[in-house]
Amino acid sequence: MTTLNVNGKNYTVTADPGTPLLWVIRDVIGLTGTKYGCGIEVCGACTIWIDGSPERSCEMTIAEGVGVKITTVEGLSPTSSHPIQKAWVAEQVPQCGYCQSGQIMVAASMIAGGHKPTDAQITAGMGNLCVCGTYNRIRAAIHLAAGG
Amino acid sequence: MNDVTPNAGLSRRGFVSTTAAIGGGLMVGVGVPAIGRAAITSKTVTAWVSIASDETVTILVGSQDMGQGVLSSLAQIVAEELRIDWTHVKSQHAPPNAIYDNPIYGSQLTAGSGSVRGYFQGLLQAGATAREMLIAAGAAVLKVAATDCVGQNGFVVSKSLGTSISYGKVAAAAAKLTPPANPPLYSANGYTLVGQSVKRPDIPSKVNGSAIFGIDVRVPGMRYGAVKLCPVNGGTVKTMGAAPAGVTYINVGTGIVAVLDARPGANTFSAFTAANAAKVTWNLPAGSASQNSTTILAQGRALLTSGSAIVAETAGNVAKAQGSAAKVVDATYTLPYLAHATMEPLNCTASVTSTGCEIWAPTQAPGTCQLTASAITGFAPASIIVHPVLLGGGLGRKFEQDYIAYAVAASKAVGAPVKVTWQREQDFAHDQYRPLGVCRVTGGLDASGNLISWAYRNVSPGILFQRGWVPDGVLDSQASEGATDITYSIPNRQVDWVRHPAAIPVGFWRSVGNSINAFAKESAIDELALAAGIDPLVFRQKLLAGNARSLNVLNTAAALGNWNAALPAGHARGIAYHESFGSLVAVVVELMLSGKGVKIINVAAAVDCGLVVNPDTGAQQVEGAIVHGMSAALWGKMSFAQGVSQVVNFDQYPMTRMGNMPTVQVSLIQTPGAALGGLGEVGVPCVAPAIANAYARLTGTRLRDLPLFPGTGITGGG
Repeated sequence: MTTLNVNGKNYTVTADPGTPLLWVIRDVIGLTGTKYGCGIEVCGACTIWIDGSPERSCEMTIAEGVGVKITTVEGLSPTSSHPIQKAWVAEQVPQCGYCQSGQIMVAASMIAGGHKPTDAQITAGMGNLCVCGTYNRIRAAIHLAAGG
Repeated sequence: MNDVTPNAGLSRRGFVSTTAAIGGGLMVGVGVPAIGRAAITSKTVTAWVSIASDETVTILVGSQDMGQGVLSSLAQIVAEELRIDWTHVKSQHAPPNAIYDNPIYGSQLTAGSGSVRGYFQGLLQAGATAREMLIAAGAAVLKVAATDCVGQNGFVVSKSLGTSISYGKVAAAAAKLTPPANPPLYSANGYTLVGQSVKRPDIPSKVNGSAIFGIDVRVPGMRYGAVKLCPVNGGTVKTMGAAPAGVTYINVGTGIVAVLDARPGANTFSAFTAANAAKVTWNLPAGSASQNSTTILAQGRALLTSGSAIVAETAGNVAKAQGSAAKVVDATYTLPYLAHATMEPLNCTASVTSTGCEIWAPTQAPGTCQLTASAITGFAPASIIVHPVLLGGGLGRKFEQDYIAYAVAASKAVGAPVKVTWQREQDFAHDQYRPLGVCRVTGGLDASGNLISWAYRNVSPGILFQRGWVPDGVLDSQASEGATDITYSIPNRQVDWVRHPAAIPVGFWRSVGNSINAFAKESAIDELALAAGIDPLVFRQKLLAGNARSLNVLNTAAALGNWNAALPAGHARGIAYHESFGSLVAVVVELMLSGKGVKIINVAAAVDCGLVVNPDTGAQQVEGAIVHGMSAALWGKMSFAQGVSQVVNFDQYPMTRMGNMPTVQVSLIQTPGAALGGLGEVGVPCVAPAIANAYARLTGTRLRDLPLFPGTGITGGG
């Protein structure tokens, strides 16, 4: 039994040893917004926040999730009102949408604290894979959310 | 998005007895209340439309959403004729039923860039039929003649009295009326919704984690499963060891499914671990030792001359014309196998009980899933419930049935609902790949630089042949598409195909044969232009002379991509033109050298698809196709050693990332009255040749083998 704090709520979970945090979040806790894409930390679909910093959760151990604040896309805002979420809708970013939870978690951290990322910072920071190719809309949405 | 669809419980007999063809596909009198909205009553006016008392209009969409925006575009078509306020529209995926078949296929397939093309006319009629029935019911209440009424923003309005009544109030009465046989349609000039970039209804759920993709399905009592398939494609299970406590192995022929018992803490990863630990020995298919990519490619080159060619198209006398040519360009192009690599790995949830079967699957072919499940369970296809869920990308892979069959077989074996999820490694290693291709083009120019002869040979495995859908010796249309019926005016030409016998399974990859043939054709056209000393744009203009629509597309792309503008030192532009799925496309790429590869600076695309229902989702499709085409052109390659995939995850399969992105410009061109063209795939084919053509102009080196710059992509991300 392990206690995890996810989106401000404590969950006491039982999971097979060695289960990555991603699968505890998805299957044990039941928050399915965080996605499985590669399992080897190269696609970014599983991105969550650990104490506010984006991390890929597919190879993260349960132990690494203990004693920290975990935030998933479901916890970004109660009403889809985070500036990044609003900008994602305004720019009509998603196509299939599968990678977008991960993209959003990286992007939201990028504008935290009123930061206005430059194009170069967006290019360097937004490393997640999107097979639908929504990158230019992602870039536009980050600028929009950051206020220009 | 995972709501039970309102019509899911309706019997097929109910549909069939009251329905005809798609356009007249009405369900009059078979009112089906929506489920789970207790306070609101809802009435199904036609099979496509139900209207609730709160004026919400639910429109059913026959295609599946895999990112292309059908929940808006198809619903817009119905709503156009229905004359309703778009903000009242709720669109939902239709359940599998013949009434929702795409007329292009006679099946409910989401494929071939065919959603708007296939459904357009029928959905206009469906909307108009419902509107006329609502008008008739409303006129009776308003005590005026139906001819005095129009549908307007969700109201039946009397023109003479100015009185009105809402659709919601008359929907129940309307549903009892006999549908009109030929409801009048608005002219395209009067469209208010078709042609508008209404927002996609699926997007809010895709920014907060609530969108339910196949992989997210959770049903009561569900157990977790994972596949372990024979590493050699085409192999089968020889022996499997005893499963450990808490795990059941199911032999599905090509491999096993490991299913976990229901217990606290069980999860998908535990199922992966159980599948990986399974001790399985394999029967390898004959000839697997020779299934090496390099061997297959060399064999393809040899088949250019030794193979038995099936003629796809011929005109004039190629040999004679080539003999008289002042210059001949003879070039051979090669393309590798490619994986679909959808972001969402394959998965399917199935529940087989003693009385029936339900499936939750990200699928492009729900009707085919019924047939697959029927064959395994013995239940009648129509009785099998396929719940629509979102697809995290389809790209042609989720048309296939292997992952459906494995889940159904697993659930049947363990007697409980099972979600079978594929590890990424299984997804890459057990794809139905874009075929490898070897294409030779021999073009002859006369002394004035006119293209007078064109011999085109494609050597590639047959997608349809491998499935037994066409016999040996018969042309495989998927192999020749994009090589035949080209618009370029070439008096003497022969196009043929040699079937490559390689057993690596091949399938329908975004744009299918077009992605192969456009690369060879448009590269060769460029080589011929350069050999003739003619600007590649001008050379194509000459070949398209007299075809105003094609020229407009070509010239629009040239203008958008600044074809004739001066370039910075070290930059070059390339151009390509190709028609597929009824659409005309031209692309101009600007690039520069970067490291051992290139940096794509800008991609300008002009697309004429006849009529655009939703310009923004249309543009999205072209933008995405360009990115997809870049990944394939620059780095995409699957390789095999003795039948075993050597690429099993994204770290070995670079795809375009933010750091690779060019600016992208898309111009959607409409041609009133033209047949509708598709949009989902049509942006792919031109990208690879336009890049190769730009590179050749920049460096003088012609790259004829894809991928162009293997090993130079970004794989790890940030």
